[in-house]
Amino acid sequence: MSVNPATQTPKKSREPEGKPRRRRLSRKHSEWLAAALFIAPDGIGFLLFLGIPILLSLGLGFFQVSGFGGYAFVGLANYKRMFVDPLFIKSMTVTLIYVVVFVGGVFAASLGLALLVRQKMPFVGILRSAFFVPHVVSLVVIGVVWQFMLIPQRGVVNQFLEAVGIGSVSWLGRSELALATVLVVSIWVWMGYYMIIFLSGLQDIPREYYDAAKVDGARSWQVFRNVTWPLLKPTSFFVLLVSTVTGVAGVQAFDLIYVMTQGGPANSTALSIFYVYEQAFQFNDYGYAAAIASFLVLVLLIATAGMFLLTKGGRFEVD
Amino acid sequence: MTDENRRITRGKFLARGAAFAFAAAVTGPGLTILSGCGGGSSSSGPLTFMQFYGPGGEVSAQSKWFEDAVNGWNKENETKIDLQYVPSQEYISGTKLQTAFSAGEGPDVFIISPGDFLKYYNGGVLEEISQYMDQKAIDDFYPSVMATRSVDGKVYALPMEVEPLVMYYSVKAFEEAGLSEADIPTTWDQLLDVSGRLKKGDRFGVLFETVPGYYQNFTWYPFMWMGGGGAVSPDGNSSDFDSKGSIQALQFWQDSIEQGVAPRQVLGSGGGDPIANLTEGFCAIQNCGIWGVADLRANAPDFEYGVFKLPVPPGGEYTSDLGGWAFVANSKGKNPEAAGQFCAWALGSMSQESVGRMVDWCTEAKSDIAPRKSVQEEADKKGAYDSGAMKIFREEAFPGARSEPRYPPEVYKPISDAIQACQLDGADATQQAQRGAQSIETFLESYSGAEIL
Repeated sequence: MSVNPATQTPKKSREPEGKPRRRRLSRKHSEWLAAALFIAPDGIGFLLFLGIPILLSLGLGFFQVSGFGGYAFVGLANYKRMFVDPLFIKSMTVTLIYVVVFVGGVFAASLGLALLVRQKMPFVGILRSAFFVPHVVSLVVIGVVWQFMLIPQRGVVNQFLEAVGIGSVSWLGRSELALATVLVVSIWVWMGYYMIIFLSGLQDIPREYYDAAKVDGARSWQVFRNVTWPLLKPTSFFVLLVSTVTGVAGVQAFDLIYVMTQGGPANSTALSIFYVYEQAFQFNDYGYAAAIASFLVLVLLIATAGMFLLTKGGRFEVD
Repeated sequence: MTDENRRITRGKFLARGAAFAFAAAVTGPGLTILSGCGGGSSSSGPLTFMQFYGPGGEVSAQSKWFEDAVNGWNKENETKIDLQYVPSQEYISGTKLQTAFSAGEGPDVFIISPGDFLKYYNGGVLEEISQYMDQKAIDDFYPSVMATRSVDGKVYALPMEVEPLVMYYSVKAFEEAGLSEADIPTTWDQLLDVSGRLKKGDRFGVLFETVPGYYQNFTWYPFMWMGGGGAVSPDGNSSDFDSKGSIQALQFWQDSIEQGVAPRQVLGSGGGDPIANLTEGFCAIQNCGIWGVADLRANAPDFEYGVFKLPVPPGGEYTSDLGGWAFVANSKGKNPEAAGQFCAWALGSMSQESVGRMVDWCTEAKSDIAPRKSVQEEADKKGAYDSGAMKIFREEAFPGARSEPRYPPEVYKPISDAIQACQLDGADATQQAQRGAQSIETFLESYSGAEIL
């Protein structure tokens, strides 16, 4: 490293005689300090509004909480109760089905859309916007609108089905259909968002690979299988990971279920996150609700770790 | 000043940044916490009255009634009261009220239905209101209405209304089906038969609530009671939910769905919304409470309808469910004594002002049966129940009806699950009733709160 004497010498001469020289941080330490200060606002916010509440929530799982200020330490009782509670077990089953279908469905739909809107065709910008728009609309509004559209006999969906001779179906009133209906709406809401992520992944694939495949006479399917798919794996990993987290946590599903089914019919759409809400805010059982929430976090950690291990952190066999 | 001097050095930038970050970290949350502490936890300032009517509520007459009541109190008393409006959906099914209590910021006065009574009573936040009332005023309330609002003879909630459930029907639908008043069903079998005749095109014959929740349970209980069923035995130690009466009620609601005369989904805000369901022609008969009269008067004044009391099962005895909201005072609020006095002053005094206020509520702002004898007499004198639907409510639906039960969540939920499983999932009614009874009994073994009625 070179030192510019022109910048060093005058500085020395400007320092007053007799005054002790201020100790300067090394470049490395200055960088560390700067980084820490830039991160600090977000870090402090995270700690105050997420970190500490998460820790408190974990602790709450070991108490029986009345909701009116009464706390009693019960050890692992809330956790033991979970495994003999048929409604909790049912909610976990519903969550598992929801996550598996949602992740698979949203992955396939968003990848398909990304491949479609990557093509050069007229009005592709409008098409991309149209697929993305549901993601920016309030989930409550979406829930209400779909509820209207699915009304038995009168909703636009059932009127169409009647017109083509299938007949009216109570999509949200039948336990065997309600979860599937909520899943379709969930996938419809999220496929535009993941489409954008896939699209950016597709645009990162160098054009030369496609040109080479074309020269070699590869067909469309062969191009997808041997060029697009392997090079899209890091993006695919991100989509799988994020959609699994949102699926298990029920971030988007809660609003839809709250508006469209209230967990019914017969608890067929009561995801674990809805059961947590019910226990906490309807039954006042905050301790049990916190224990279930902690268990969900554990499930999520295991699922995420499993995905990292299976895919070598999203790099698959590329490295 | 030269550019060189004006330029900020890295050291100054870092120092200023640190100062800014520290200030933001300390003052931001600090202010938030302080602002949070400044509201309800302060022992001074006006008392808060949380409810879902006003100011600025959905029905102006009801909103005005609340505003007038609070203004009347504020003129006469040093301790003032502020109305705190929460939309009804959020108040009844949301988290606002519950989280306020959990945060130690519960309102000083609020309203509850019997279904919520034990949650708040067992939580120790209900102030005894009878200590601020004359015995004459206490005795003025109907005993059937007060049973679920009292513990050991002490009153903890003062009802402002009594709301029986009936069946509403569309006159036009009846006429189209060639039916008349003589065909009004009085038994469950007749109801299914008439509903089948009324079902036409996209209109269902009859409508029961399908959305799981406290309201659905509330509307189903009379069907359980009419056959002699119950959820908790009179001694409070066991459940009779697996009795014949409960099983046949579960089966009846299932039959209405399986026969295709009742819908699996309801419109609007649910089974208690006659505007979205009955007047829109989605159903010809609707199970709904007395509030429907005021709803129809305000929103569909030209709609021709009638009401009839709930049909009974074979060998059963008529009853209905008396819902209704009640004023309660928070015993852990800013000033429990003033809050309790306000409740007694507004609804539980023998003064002409208090009686008149309740007459206005039950006959003008809303359409209800009064919870007090003196109020009912005044309302009768006004001719509020002389004709039409209100006459049937007063003379047929109300007599013989019983108060909405005060089941805690652990009793409500197994019943709700059984209703949902039978109504919408085709489950076996006997099995569901047995499963529900078992859950309730498990809960009762360790229950130690006030009597479950």
